[in-house]
Amino acid sequence: MNLSKVNFCLLIVLALSLFPFILSAQESTKISGQVLDVKDSSPLTGANIFWENDLKSGVVSDLDGNFEIQPTKLPARLIVSFIGYEKSIRVLTEKDLSKFQRFFLNPEELSLEEVIIQERRPDENVRNLETGKARVPIETIKNIPALFGEVDLLRSLQLLPGVQTAGEGTTGLFVRGGSADQNLVQLDGAPVYNPSHFFGFFSVFNPDALDQVELYKGNMPASYGGRLSSLIDVSLREGNYDQIHGEGGIGTISSRFTIDGPLFSEKSSFVFSARRTYADVFLKLANDPDLRDNRLNFYDLSGKLAFKISDKDKITFSTYQGRDFLGINREFGLGWSNWVSSLKWSRNISDDLFFDLDAYHSFYNYKIEINDPDNGFIWNNNLSESGIKGNWSLNNNSKTQTYWGFHSQFYNFSPINLEPLPNSNLDPINTNPKNGVLNNLFAGLSHQFSSKLSAEAGLRWGFFNQLGRGVDYRYAGGIPGPDVEVIDSVQFNSFENIKFYQGLEPRLAFRYLINEEFSLKAAYNRNFQYVQIASNSSAGLPIDRWILAGTYVPPIRSDQISIGMFKNFQNNKWEFSVESYYKDLRNIIDLRNGAQVLFTDQVETEIITGKGWAYGVEFLLRKNTGKTTGWLAYTWSRTWRLIEGISENRKYNPRFDRPHDVTLVLNHEFSPSWSAGLTFVYTTGQAVTFPIGTYPVDNQQLPLFSKFRNQDRFPDYHRMDASVTWKNPNKGRKLRGSWNFSVYNLYGRKNPFAYEFRQIYNDDFRFSAGDGPIESSRQGIVMTYLFTFLPSITYNFQF
Amino acid sequence: MRRLLIPLLNVLFFSCQEEVDLPLATIEGEIPVIEGTWTDKDFYNEVTISLAKNYFDESTRIVISDAEVVISIPGTEVLIPFVYNSSTRSYRPKDRRKVAKVGERYNLSVKWGGNIYQASGLMLEAPKIDSLTYEFKEKRLFSDEGYYIKAYGKIPFTRDNYYRIRVIENDTLKNNREDYLLFDDTFGLSFFERGLELNYAFQPGDRVRLELFRMNRDVYNYFTQLVGLLFNDGGLFSPPPQNPETNIRVIQGEGEVLGCFLVSPLLSESIFIRE
Repeated sequence: MNLSKVNFCLLIVLALSLFPFILSAQESTKISGQVLDVKDSSPLTGANIFWENDLKSGVVSDLDGNFEIQPTKLPARLIVSFIGYEKSIRVLTEKDLSKFQRFFLNPEELSLEEVIIQERRPDENVRNLETGKARVPIETIKNIPALFGEVDLLRSLQLLPGVQTAGEGTTGLFVRGGSADQNLVQLDGAPVYNPSHFFGFFSVFNPDALDQVELYKGNMPASYGGRLSSLIDVSLREGNYDQIHGEGGIGTISSRFTIDGPLFSEKSSFVFSARRTYADVFLKLANDPDLRDNRLNFYDLSGKLAFKISDKDKITFSTYQGRDFLGINREFGLGWSNWVSSLKWSRNISDDLFFDLDAYHSFYNYKIEINDPDNGFIWNNNLSESGIKGNWSLNNNSKTQTYWGFHSQFYNFSPINLEPLPNSNLDPINTNPKNGVLNNLFAGLSHQFSSKLSAEAGLRWGFFNQLGRGVDYRYAGGIPGPDVEVIDSVQFNSFENIKFYQGLEPRLAFRYLINEEFSLKAAYNRNFQYVQIASNSSAGLPIDRWILAGTYVPPIRSDQISIGMFKNFQNNKWEFSVESYYKDLRNIIDLRNGAQVLFTDQVETEIITGKGWAYGVEFLLRKNTGKTTGWLAYTWSRTWRLIEGISENRKYNPRFDRPHDVTLVLNHEFSPSWSAGLTFVYTTGQAVTFPIGTYPVDNQQLPLFSKFRNQDRFPDYHRMDASVTWKNPNKGRKLRGSWNFSVYNLYGRKNPFAYEFRQIYNDDFRFSAGDGPIESSRQGIVMTYLFTFLPSITYNFQF
Repeated sequence: MRRLLIPLLNVLFFSCQEEVDLPLATIEGEIPVIEGTWTDKDFYNEVTISLAKNYFDESTRIVISDAEVVISIPGTEVLIPFVYNSSTRSYRPKDRRKVAKVGERYNLSVKWGGNIYQASGLMLEAPKIDSLTYEFKEKRLFSDEGYYIKAYGKIPFTRDNYYRIRVIENDTLKNNREDYLLFDDTFGLSFFERGLELNYAFQPGDRVRLELFRMNRDVYNYFTQLVGLLFNDGGLFSPPPQNPETNIRVIQGEGEVLGCFLVSPLLSESIFIRE
């Protein structure tokens, strides 16, 4: 028998065996349909379609998502499943036989998170060279119970070990003993100088517009620099290249909307995102006319365009603009805004060589207006940073990678400008501008010496010039001070060099792999910072004065050593790490008692410099996969400062020194419809100065403070937040909605925001001296606390 | 800004307040509080010395009555001794005709408990107050409806421009923390020529007296720090609280001293508000 005869016989047998089915099919109608992704209606190839009562009847969808399935005894439940998507079940009756069935599958939330994590290997935390780096998927951030239901990126980062907060509700970050201005917060490579709304209670990032956030608090690659304590690298997400897609939410205090999709073709995309609060809408409902005429709002707008101009080239343009405004009776106005933009060109020069060129501009502005007929004025100030960064990356071989590049930054801090309104009695104020240019060269090399040992070495070399136009003052004795005579002032023309600094910033990291799930790491990192805020309050204000390094203010420097142990369990389901660090800070600044820095052209007279150090151990146990995800973190840390002129020249703890810090973050998915989140935070109370006595001066009863700073503590801070999310996967096919109910401070803990030490009149702390006759007076302590049991509700949607 | 923030936060964020008790440290030893005022008006010239007490100590103020208090002019033999006056519970010049004279530097010396405390101040030339006027104004931002007084004068000085205005309404000193009117030449001084408005709504029948002091810089700093401390709520937006920096030094002995020595000319003008 030759082969053709064999084939022919098989064909006959097959035809005969299929004959009854063919006859049957001709007699009854097949059920046909299509399986699609609900987000963009893209066909899902390979989805399983089967009857619940006849599991063997299953078919698989084709390249176009189409399928045909023989009916079973109806009515019956038809199940459509696909990996990474929620199962869809539909009850079909005889009437449905003639209908074309379309199944829109919802991506599983959990698998979204998994996809993000799986951008890296599951054991990446053990195998890579990174210490002190945290990556929080945006989906995880969205699941964390939020204040007012406002999902907040920076507040979520506060839940990571080694990151402290300034206080209740605020978004300021204090990373491993560094102050808030030592964090570089950048959006697509462009720095954001004031990353907060509402005086720091909300961050500027709309979570729907974000792709990812990475926090570097330890070893930072040499390609990054400029701030001492951390890099918070935030990326806007790119739009969908195939379909229009939108999402948004209606919350307690704000609403947001994001839309994205292809721009001109499948090679370009856009995303546009907007968010606005409506506190001022509620203020208009107030009975009190003083409140009714006030305005209070903020908004964010962001967008990103992406163009795949060839197989090797891609260009993206990102921009963000956000603004806050507070207005009272049209007589007082305070507004501030950020506007950052970046243009990035990415090119794959070859399979092993990559190039990124990033140009950016960041602009920050605030403006205060007082419409008083006698003393009215407009006071505004701008600062900006423009930069360009080129970065080449080369995969030399499977064991060696190198990168190198440049980064040039131009700072322009405009003069303080106070202009009296017409007929105002005030005189104008104009300080001199401050300009600087920082040029950096950087290079790094990572090499795998053996299967166990890897190392990375990097070097960043910064050249900083304080430039004209400007004025530099000369002081008697060469050291500025409030009572020191100015003996000369030197005028500098545009771009004329005023002061030059340069600094080498070495970066080293080692990793030793004990086994596939266990590694030890060590890193050393030096950073210089040439811009900082001249302030001595713990929380930032929109009018904070940024200053550049100059003749009398040297750049600040940090040296950090960190070591870590990284261990994964149960096939990388669980991650456990212990990291310890020691950080040394030089030339950090504080302000003299009663310093006035906002309007002076000689801010150096108000500044005192010193040093600081911080150390700590951070424990992190994290679960990334499964129905229950989250982490438990504990940090023990100490932070010290030693600045001549403060605390009798002895070391002291800054306010954010909080030795014990425990964080628990949990998310659990009970069913495709129900999920819940819970966070618990415990920290040692803030280091503060309480009075030890009281004394009379100038008809006042003043609190008397010790000469030593921050020797007292607020009570320990703890709080639990919870949220429940409900979504109906079958509700609508295009539009998917969900409700989120959250409670901030679940058990109503009265965590102090402030203590005021003052006189209590008539045994009533609400009574003030102007309220009426004073019958008694005594010393008292009045505690202010915020946010006890604060529920909120948010409706989120996607289409 | 910080003063605006706290009430704003109260409104916006449902903040609550309550009176609480905290364990506080106590004063070790005795800390004298010296308040010296030396002007060209004899009525105002006095030195009070008391002791600071623990924060919750509700006992009456302890006044020191056995100190030796002298004001001198350095480089001269001039000594102006002070004696304790039990009715005012302060030290006053033995010779009440002695007052500060423009251009002179004065040293205050206080001997008490084996310690010697000393401070110094320069008597500066006084500016001029030409007139006080008033007019009725409607309610404005931060200002109630009422009669507002404007002070017109001239400040011809190019340095040492540190001033304080005190307002006395019907013999009662306006003495709340909002009542400190301190100014220097940061915003210029021409507003004084064009009329400096006092931010009080007066009513017909009020008699108002204005007192203007021209202070040395260290005393001005002391008062600005004092006001800052009165507004310091201990919160995130406030700087760490510190005692105002006194211009009094311990030149013999140990320990701290609190208070301030003010040397200043004093200008006083009064006006009666009529409808």
